[in-house]
Amino acid sequence: MDTEALIRSLSTDVKPVPRHAVGRRVALGLGLGAVGTVVLIGWWLGFRPDFGTAMRGYSFWMKWIYTSMLAGAAIVATVQLARPEPSSLRWLRILVVPMLLLAAIGAVEMMRVPSRDWLAMWLGSSWKLCPIIVLILAAPIFIGLLWSFRRLAPTRLRAAGAVAGLAAGACAAALYCFHCPEVSALFVLTWYTLGIALASAMGALLGPRVLRW
Amino acid sequence: MRADEDQLRRWMISGLAGHAGDHAALLAALVPLLQAFYRRRMRNAVEDVEDLVQETLIAVHSRRATYDPDRPFGVWLFAIARYKMIDHFRRRRQSCPIEDVEELLVAESFEGASIARMDVDRLLDTLPAKQAAAIRDTRLDGLSVTEAAAQARIGESDVKVSIHRGLKALAARVRGEP
Repeated sequence: MDTEALIRSLSTDVKPVPRHAVGRRVALGLGLGAVGTVVLIGWWLGFRPDFGTAMRGYSFWMKWIYTSMLAGAAIVATVQLARPEPSSLRWLRILVVPMLLLAAIGAVEMMRVPSRDWLAMWLGSSWKLCPIIVLILAAPIFIGLLWSFRRLAPTRLRAAGAVAGLAAGACAAALYCFHCPEVSALFVLTWYTLGIALASAMGALLGPRVLRW
Repeated sequence: MRADEDQLRRWMISGLAGHAGDHAALLAALVPLLQAFYRRRMRNAVEDVEDLVQETLIAVHSRRATYDPDRPFGVWLFAIARYKMIDHFRRRRQSCPIEDVEELLVAESFEGASIARMDVDRLLDTLPAKQAAAIRDTRLDGLSVTEAAAQARIGESDVKVSIHRGLKALAARVRGEP
């Protein structure tokens, strides 16, 4: 095909592009994926029966706010890497802020219980499962983001995969709060974060293969 | 006549608004730019240049939503062009000698350089006049610090400080920090 014919055929299909199209596209993929994750939780794990009471307790909000802060930063980074121009991700270092806040809460909690209970508090009743569950719940959201990227233009595929995995993991963890009965800050800081990090690592691993265009 | 950054950007923005004619004009104007870009960098595989130009045009078209109208067009375009070239090498499993890599990274075609120059001018316009003048004199026009100081009738250390502060502010802006 010669180039002029190509240009003619491309120019027959010029739909207007709304402003903030990248953000919308990412939000749509994320939203569709989140629906998948919620369905998966409902079908596989079930929502916690004491959901109404739990929402009034502080530990639910602690978990939810922590994971939402991670998710917010990761989503901004995903939108940033969906554009082709070179850009810096150094600002992502602010991710340590929610971690430090949670660590501070964890320290306060430790002071309030006798030291023989620390291990139980840290391991909870589901530490072996929690990271794996977060990783599995991240899959639908990650797939949703892959769909978003089909019209976007990431040029650093490994980094884009990593931040998309981070966003998927953190959103999945935020939704997992609706099932998970664990209450301690140290538990969340360790096992939730580990699950989110696994999702991010998986994204970095898959990125160069699945994000090519 | 070759279209400049401002013209390309106007066509791009108009194309994003749905004007097919301007979109076609943009794509047509990109052909010589991209040909020069790839020819300069792929002297070992000139026969692939046309393929790459077409692939890049398709990418510019299908991924045009990723262009942010508030940012320079040239940077966006050549980021896509560069990605397509790297992907092309990867697909061919072609390794290129390290000297060529250096050239790939350093070499800028005339068009690329002139678009970059326009982007630089736009960025410099956002700096205070003294810093912009100091950078323009010493880094673009090749004057020494002494000559630049004499020309602006300020001290040499003032010139050095202006350059330093200006470059720092520019670097922050290019990275997208406020």
